[in-house]
Amino acid sequence: MKKYTGKRLLQLIPILFGITLLSFLLMNTGTADVIDVMESNSGGVMSEEEKDVLRAELGLDKPLVQQYAVWLGKVLRGDMGKSFVSGQPVFTTFLSRLPATIYLTITSILLTVFLSVPLGILSAVKQNRLTDYIIRFFSFIGNSLPNFFVSLLLIYFFSLKLNLLPVMGNTAGWKSVILPTLTLALSMASRYTRQVRATVLEELNKDYVQGARARGIKEKRILYFSVLRASMLTIVTLLALSIGSLLGGTAIVESIFMWDGVGKMAVDAITMRDYPMIQVYVIWMAIIYVCVNLFTDILYHYLDPRIRLGQEDA
Amino acid sequence: MKRKNLRKKIGVSLLALTMTAGLLAGCKDKDSASAPEDAGGIQTAEGEKVFYYGDTTFNAENDESDVNPHNGYSGWACIRYGIGETLFRYTDSMESEPWLATEYKNVDENTWEITLRDGVTFTSGRAMDAAAVKECLDHLVEVHERAGGDLKIQEVTADGLTLTIRTEEPVPALINYLAEPYGCIIDMEAGIGEDGNVSGTGPYRATLVETDKGLTLVKNENYWDGMPHLDTIYVRTISDGDTMTMAMQSGELDGAYGLPYASLPLFESAPYSISSCETSRSFFGAMNYETEALQDANVRRAIAGAIDRENFTKVLMNGNGSPAVGPFPASFPFGDSTVTAQSFDLEVSKTLLAEAGWTDTDGDGYVDKNGQKLTLRWLTYPSRQELPLLAESVQATMKEIGIDLQVNCTANHLDFVASGDWDIYASAFVTAPTGDPEFFFTTHCLDASSKNRGGYHSEELEALEEQMSRTFDAKERAELATKMTQVILDDNSFVFASHLRMSIVSGEGVTGLVAHPCDYYEITAELDKN
Repeated sequence: MKKYTGKRLLQLIPILFGITLLSFLLMNTGTADVIDVMESNSGGVMSEEEKDVLRAELGLDKPLVQQYAVWLGKVLRGDMGKSFVSGQPVFTTFLSRLPATIYLTITSILLTVFLSVPLGILSAVKQNRLTDYIIRFFSFIGNSLPNFFVSLLLIYFFSLKLNLLPVMGNTAGWKSVILPTLTLALSMASRYTRQVRATVLEELNKDYVQGARARGIKEKRILYFSVLRASMLTIVTLLALSIGSLLGGTAIVESIFMWDGVGKMAVDAITMRDYPMIQVYVIWMAIIYVCVNLFTDILYHYLDPRIRLGQEDA
Repeated sequence: MKRKNLRKKIGVSLLALTMTAGLLAGCKDKDSASAPEDAGGIQTAEGEKVFYYGDTTFNAENDESDVNPHNGYSGWACIRYGIGETLFRYTDSMESEPWLATEYKNVDENTWEITLRDGVTFTSGRAMDAAAVKECLDHLVEVHERAGGDLKIQEVTADGLTLTIRTEEPVPALINYLAEPYGCIIDMEAGIGEDGNVSGTGPYRATLVETDKGLTLVKNENYWDGMPHLDTIYVRTISDGDTMTMAMQSGELDGAYGLPYASLPLFESAPYSISSCETSRSFFGAMNYETEALQDANVRRAIAGAIDRENFTKVLMNGNGSPAVGPFPASFPFGDSTVTAQSFDLEVSKTLLAEAGWTDTDGDGYVDKNGQKLTLRWLTYPSRQELPLLAESVQATMKEIGIDLQVNCTANHLDFVASGDWDIYASAFVTAPTGDPEFFFTTHCLDASSKNRGGYHSEELEALEEQMSRTFDAKERAELATKMTQVILDDNSFVFASHLRMSIVSGEGVTGLVAHPCDYYEITAELDKN
């Protein structure tokens, strides 16, 4: 297990090198750079001489490969650089945004699991009955509504009409997290409810369930100790993907609720061509996807010992 | 046994997850402990007046990452939120008048003697005198590229309350430039904090500066121009227009600037109020002289006459703008009332195109010449909500005169500008940020202008600018500006669509939140909430 984990983590090195180089080159395909964008956004005017001075200060006057090499050299020495836009160290800025993203990820995932697993099972057990139809109807609605629309609806009812919760996030303690969590969880739970239902139905139709029933084992016991456990593999895969995506931030929800996470930070950085900030984000995304996938693989092994880790070694 | 182990592991994992969530939740609560819970239920001392202000502009993207006027465009935040003040300020007609100064005189073309106001102190407690102002201006021109280029200061000397500025060459608009937000006078002895906080002379001082998030302001008890009414002001940077609208409706905000036009009707009646003002932010298109069809004066005239400014401002902008003639609104002494442009008339435009040899020979609804359809690329960008609407409006009217207008509305517009893949570039620009007209011409219309992207050239305009650069008298400068505007309008090198009407919404009981032609003066000592 340790060897497998170590090997997977070692794979991060070429991944990080590859994607940072790729993102760096892609961001430089345009002719406008951060200086042009800042001039445009501020509504002011800079002479070409002024721009050249600023470019030289940021190192943007150097050839692309040299810029990347300088950046990489600094990173290897533990210096992620400063934002071209705010002038603040990018790693500090990133770290300051991370707790909000992790906080929202945890609350959203927990709520998603608490909603989708019981509803999915209930829907499967009550297949083609009224309860199933109602759950499927609402999960269909939840799937169809885009996040920005759900968030505006929630704000409208809970903030404007009922005056229970604040519109703006990050300003009112724990109350602030409720609406962004609901927005994300309603959409994810709608999707997962259907997935859980389908998986549980598939398991229920398998021979071992028929066999267990024939042996007179109680339906609840079959459901909770056999079917549900077998279904967990699918659910865990889905959750892992969602956790990875949520840890990357949710720019639209963050913008609407003024939730100060890494998603909006990344979108702003891309808009502004703030390369050091983009690179920090890219590194973060690579790390979380590798780690989440690794964690999922390990969890697979515990859920189903028949699955061996590092089978390619065998 | 295996099942037991699995349960145990799952149990431990869940416990760890819950503890992490709790820890983070705890962190969040701790973080927000210094901030208020919400506008309605805020924990404040009895009788303390707290004001919540929503704004779209305080962020690093706008080059406003803090309130240090010597850093990029952060001076706008410094002055807008009542932290700093300038030696001179702009009146409602954008003429300069003394503020921290009381008077000035030109000793000669290169020397200005400015008398400072007595009894003004910085929030640091230091008295503002000529020595303090000299320190500030010396630092400004040393570190601020734009200020250095505008002011061209050679030397500043201080004597009590008398400040003497000597410039490298005649700078007729020096007083206007000193009223620019970068000219906020700050105490350099107190210095500039790591967070970009400064000590100014305004009615409020910042106690917390958070880039992209907002500011916390407290009243300056020693303000020289009367006691500010509010104890604490929380400025929130809100990028989403709908969020700001609903925060205003729910009472979380007491005032807001930058609301979407579509939301403004919600606040037209009590308990809300809207203060609006026409500004010099103009929306206009620049012709690309590299495009063969646009080298024909008749084609440019036809295009200028096919822009329905009335319809655009009244219908598409919901009345939140005024039809433009030239670059400056009518409230300026050299504004729209002094010049004329090609008026909207599609029949005249069709005739002009025909005179230029563009007629619809194949009956496809579009004019053509030598077998080539007249297709033009209209480049613009979406970050200003008016620009995509303008593109749609112009596309419709252009079709009526037989021009196939292909709209390219992209956030990557600067790449297209650089590559030259455009025929008309529509943008928004504050044409007279200092109240002086020369800025627009020097930035957009001359051979040496950095934003003369279409390659426009006019001998007459160059000669008039030469004259303008040597003229000190405001009235004469206004007359010259009128002539220069008429030159570019006659050439139709630029077509002006509208001027922005800026609106600030006040909530219940709020007074003193008044829109100004430049958005520099928002939070003032007059702002109150009852």
